[in-house]
Amino acid sequence: MSGVLVVVETRRGELREVSLELVRAALGVKDSCGGRVLVAVLDHDPERFVRALSAEGVDEILLVYTPTEHFEAHVSQKALEELIDAERPGLVVLGHTINSLGFAPAVAARLGLGFASDVSSLWSAGGPMVSRGAYGDKLVAELEFPGKDCTLVMLRAGTFEPAAAGAQPVRARTVELALDGVAATEHVGFEEVQDTGVDITKAPFLVSIGRGVEDKDEIPRFEALAERLGGTLSVSRPLVDAGWVPSARQVGQSGKTVKPRVYLALGISGAVQHLAGMRTAETIIAVNTDPEAPIFGVAHYGAVADLFEVTDELERALD
Amino acid sequence: MKIVVTVKQVAALDDEFELLGDGSGVHPDSVELELNEWDAFSLEAALQLRERAGSDDEVVVVTVGGTESEETLVGCLAKGADRALRIWDSSLQGADVLVVARVLAAVVAHEAPDLVLCGVQSSDAVNGATGMALAGYLEMPHVAVVKALDYDPAGSVATVRRELEGGLVEVLRVGTPALLTIQTGINEPRYANLRAIKQASAKPLEVRTLAELGLDAAKVSMAAGSRRRKLRHPDAGGGAEMLDGSPSDVAARIVELVRERMTG
Amino acid sequence: MSHRDPRYDVLFEQVAIGPKTLRNRFIQVQHCVGAGSDRPGFQARFRSTKAEGGWAAVFTESCTIAPEADYAPFVAARLWDEGDVRNLSLMCDEVHEHGALAGVGLAYGPMTQAGTNETRLAPSNVSSTSNPHLSGTAGGLWCVDRHDIRRIRQLYVDAAMRAVRAGFDIVEVNLSHTSSILVRFVVPMYNQRTDEYGGSLENRTRFAREVLDDIRTKVGDQCAISVRWGIDTLDETPWGFAGRGVRADGDGVGLIADLDDLVDYWNLNVGTVAHWGEDAGPAKTHPENHQARYTQLAKQVTNKPVVNVGRFTNPDTMVKVIESGQCDLIGAARPSIADPFIPRKIDEGRPEDIRECIGCNMCASRWEMRGPALVCTQNATSAEEFRRGWHPERFDAAANRANDVVVIGAGPAGMECAIVLAKRGMRRVHLVEAESEMGGTMRWITQLPGLGAWGRIVSWRAIQMQKLSKSLTFVPRTRLTTDDVLDYGAELVVVATGSSWAADGRSGFNPDGISGVDAVAQDWALTPEQIMVDGQQPVGNSVIVYDGDGYFMAHELAEKLAREGRSVTYVTPFPTVAPYTEYTLEQPRVIAGLRELGVTFRTQAVLVDADGSQATLTDSVTAVTQAVPCDTLVLVTQRNSHDSLFRELRDRPDRLQDAGIAGLYHIGDCVQPSFIAQAIFSGHRLGREIDSPDPSVALPFIRERRIIGGSDDDYELGSAAISAGEVVPLTMELGGGGLADQV
Repeated sequence: MSGVLVVVETRRGELREVSLELVRAALGVKDSCGGRVLVAVLDHDPERFVRALSAEGVDEILLVYTPTEHFEAHVSQKALEELIDAERPGLVVLGHTINSLGFAPAVAARLGLGFASDVSSLWSAGGPMVSRGAYGDKLVAELEFPGKDCTLVMLRAGTFEPAAAGAQPVRARTVELALDGVAATEHVGFEEVQDTGVDITKAPFLVSIGRGVEDKDEIPRFEALAERLGGTLSVSRPLVDAGWVPSARQVGQSGKTVKPRVYLALGISGAVQHLAGMRTAETIIAVNTDPEAPIFGVAHYGAVADLFEVTDELERALD
Repeated sequence: MKIVVTVKQVAALDDEFELLGDGSGVHPDSVELELNEWDAFSLEAALQLRERAGSDDEVVVVTVGGTESEETLVGCLAKGADRALRIWDSSLQGADVLVVARVLAAVVAHEAPDLVLCGVQSSDAVNGATGMALAGYLEMPHVAVVKALDYDPAGSVATVRRELEGGLVEVLRVGTPALLTIQTGINEPRYANLRAIKQASAKPLEVRTLAELGLDAAKVSMAAGSRRRKLRHPDAGGGAEMLDGSPSDVAARIVELVRERMTG
Repeated sequence: MSHRDPRYDVLFEQVAIGPKTLRNRFIQVQHCVGAGSDRPGFQARFRSTKAEGGWAAVFTESCTIAPEADYAPFVAARLWDEGDVRNLSLMCDEVHEHGALAGVGLAYGPMTQAGTNETRLAPSNVSSTSNPHLSGTAGGLWCVDRHDIRRIRQLYVDAAMRAVRAGFDIVEVNLSHTSSILVRFVVPMYNQRTDEYGGSLENRTRFAREVLDDIRTKVGDQCAISVRWGIDTLDETPWGFAGRGVRADGDGVGLIADLDDLVDYWNLNVGTVAHWGEDAGPAKTHPENHQARYTQLAKQVTNKPVVNVGRFTNPDTMVKVIESGQCDLIGAARPSIADPFIPRKIDEGRPEDIRECIGCNMCASRWEMRGPALVCTQNATSAEEFRRGWHPERFDAAANRANDVVVIGAGPAGMECAIVLAKRGMRRVHLVEAESEMGGTMRWITQLPGLGAWGRIVSWRAIQMQKLSKSLTFVPRTRLTTDDVLDYGAELVVVATGSSWAADGRSGFNPDGISGVDAVAQDWALTPEQIMVDGQQPVGNSVIVYDGDGYFMAHELAEKLAREGRSVTYVTPFPTVAPYTEYTLEQPRVIAGLRELGVTFRTQAVLVDADGSQATLTDSVTAVTQAVPCDTLVLVTQRNSHDSLFRELRDRPDRLQDAGIAGLYHIGDCVQPSFIAQAIFSGHRLGREIDSPDPSVALPFIRERRIIGGSDDDYELGSAAISAGEVVPLTMELGGGGLADQV
């Protein structure tokens, strides 16, 4: 078994960004894995994504026509099992997403594959190697897959660069799979979730403000900014101490511990107690005028800048 | 009706944890053990179903773990589980997610429940995979990331709401026996009062070895999906990647980063 | 135990001061405590606990140098005679045992004492008009002449020598708060002299210079000499001397330049004696490091180390003020009361364990009452270190720890009690709370204007509870009935169910309630909870906030409603607005702040009835009645305990016994609604004494007093023996407070 099979993900007619990250990751190990890089799209109309997926180095794009527009776990599971059986890849790459969680581990179990999820780096050293968080991201574990002809890895979104489309479209082939008669769940419908009040621990994106915002009357502005960026407002302790914001929004040792996808810290210096509440966020972006601010020690991206100037520009950029 | 709830005693590293020099693990004193947060929700879901259904129904909690995990099982019994099972064998030390699922599959097969409830993930390993791998071994219908559950044992169908990214919810029906992985926030987990805690030690807590489950230790080990080569500290951040330029450059880059990270 | 964060290394650098060396940059500056020289055990243990907690130097409170220099009834330390030397030497010895330096603040005055028969001396015959309690006389003052000056210089030198004999390492001369005679010479407000001691700055500092020179000559090789200097009298505010005071950028730094060669370091603050609340600024009105803009000027004119105060609680702020060059030493009074172990906690890498001062000034209020020992809302062990043997960081194992406890109610009292019980090793402690979060009334009190910092009461305890999670479980969203409690399975039950404000306006001023008023039924009568928790809005236009309580609740609600655009009248039967805030030093700003918002005041007015459009006030002096508009009446009169759960349980001892409950107790507001400090104290005490024969009654404590025919050991008479953690009550046939009843 050789080569890499990438299974990308779509939602509501769009290619999810993690998909292009998966392609890049696969291309990164193509040489050491040997064989080809195949990209499989499971969708009601998969052909519309061929161009975007035609990165240089992708050998073939496999089009699997699913019976419904929406995701069905049992369909994806069956499709993946059949693809693996047909294409015999040495490495299968999916995103660590809610959808994949619904079927990929079952496939790994049933087929006796190598398996690792929430992986943040992938390389090859006599076989595929990955690293992932341990003890909730406080440490890093390096994993290997001895004795496995085929290994399935689920990559954490945002840890790989997305692959760009190449000059030429890649050859696409329709794969017929026997997907009927495997119904195990019945789709009833979709619902929009009700907003039952602020729970910053559930928010995937937090815009957090601190001491740098010195005036209570500024807070609605940041709340609006958070909303426009698609996030939720959170604060560090001084604003709660000042009585400007309820403690439900407080991030920190004596407030809430959060682990969002993105934590944008504006004017927060990063007192120890605050860092304890957010340091394991996946992507931390910090803006502070003090280049020595402790928050830069845990941030992934930083800017030594005035938070109000940056906020002005953010608002302009979003207009 | 019988519901099996798989639980895990997770290890939280305290603030001054020590990594063993050879990267093989952490110092045992560095670790605080507690019930996995998600499992409190799945246990509560099971207890609520039992309370609605009737008195001759059973909630069984199962874990794969050494003697230290009995404290967690007793806690579950105190909350109202009827029976607890602990599976252990020395070969299970450091078992990965597929091995654990393989062992649990043998237990579940023996128990033959109507529902198997697992947490979406554990807070220490965060694989998010044990439940689904278990469903795979059992070839049981499954739904992941359930945030609402409606089950009528008489009709052998469960209606569930599954959480999707972006605030969307999907409504599904699944025939039982089925396996569901339960998301936090689905209910409010109860606390056991002191009387229940004291009385929990009188409830049955059985320990089984692999042999007693009819499993061969060597074969089970082969089911492992991976092997940990080493444990290390994260890269020293490399420090933050600093964004240069004017405030408008910074703002543009921030918007870009946010879009990238949030739509993955 | 981990190492400290290198960020804080700068705080632990040594600093040389004259012949002495400070082991780090933390100084507990002079502050009153209620101990003086007459309660040496209290004084010594209170101060040495901070030495143990890592402070480099700990000071007495202001210490008067002679009977004529005293200002009773305020409790100052004294170095008048050999007896005082002996008593204060106990403090020095204990402080030295923990590796810190001992400091004393020598003072002659405040100059307008009301509680002695001594002659009052001053630079000029300008009596203090600012504070009736401190002036206390309609007379004048004796203007000192050169003879008096020489005599007073001798008093200072004699006192300094006594200080050295007692073992003090630092002698600090007080020139702050415009209180001592030396500073009264400096301040133009009080000095109208035309001789060489008046006029120019050099003349006005002459007396101080002479005193410092004398002291330095006599003892300067044996101890460090410092000056506590009020660098600015805040003349731009209503609480200064309107141009007749001292400005930091004028005489403030001028004096420093003038006297610099005579001191080893400078201890700076601001404010006048009548408004020393501008120095001990409450959190509501004075942010951390609030004196910076005045005190930072000092480093322009001196190279000597400079101490600043500013209610420093955040180690990062401390680092900032040192590294920016604002000052060299972190001074603290109130933060050291709230947590005597601040330096050690930073050093040990656990700054999250710092129990932060909330700036409520309960400590100051006790001193302002002239007599009682201080109390601290955050730190129940404050002033109890000696007399009850409570160490802030050490808890001995409870003799009856093989028991489970349920604490009902996670307000301040319940939280504190649960924590102490867990620290004492009780087998399991369940803290059960009806709401989803802990904190009790603190959850909404912190939403009142400016009281956000009081949330530290809850946040510190939340962190401590996390650390005790092995045995301490927080159980939220659970309201227990009597049956639930009996069924809970705990051997010990602690009820901490709090209180709420009276809906009928009842208090000692209106013993039958206010006629026509029922906040439960009427939308125009509101209790604090109805406003803050239920979110009910006032109706109509005119709002009366009726204050029968006298502390913060009424004036805070008046402010909140005024800020929301209401027309508010504050009405109280008391003679002044929010009378307790006089003791907490907040009153001037409270009144000024409300006035600015357009709030009007009626004092000495009892509100006898209301009907939703008007209310009747009766003047409590003249008995004249008057009808006033009142669309909404906010009732801040008294609180009623939520005592039904405890009473029901206590009334059925048979059921308690059947349930296996060996002890039933109640703490906090559900016993007697009072200050937050009292609630926390009550929870703490029960935790400390849970294994005494009758925990419901406080164990006797040491009262330092002369006993006829008594010896040193007889100090312990009537108290629980306080040694090595053993708690053994003594029985005595002679009365004497607080003996345990054997049940």
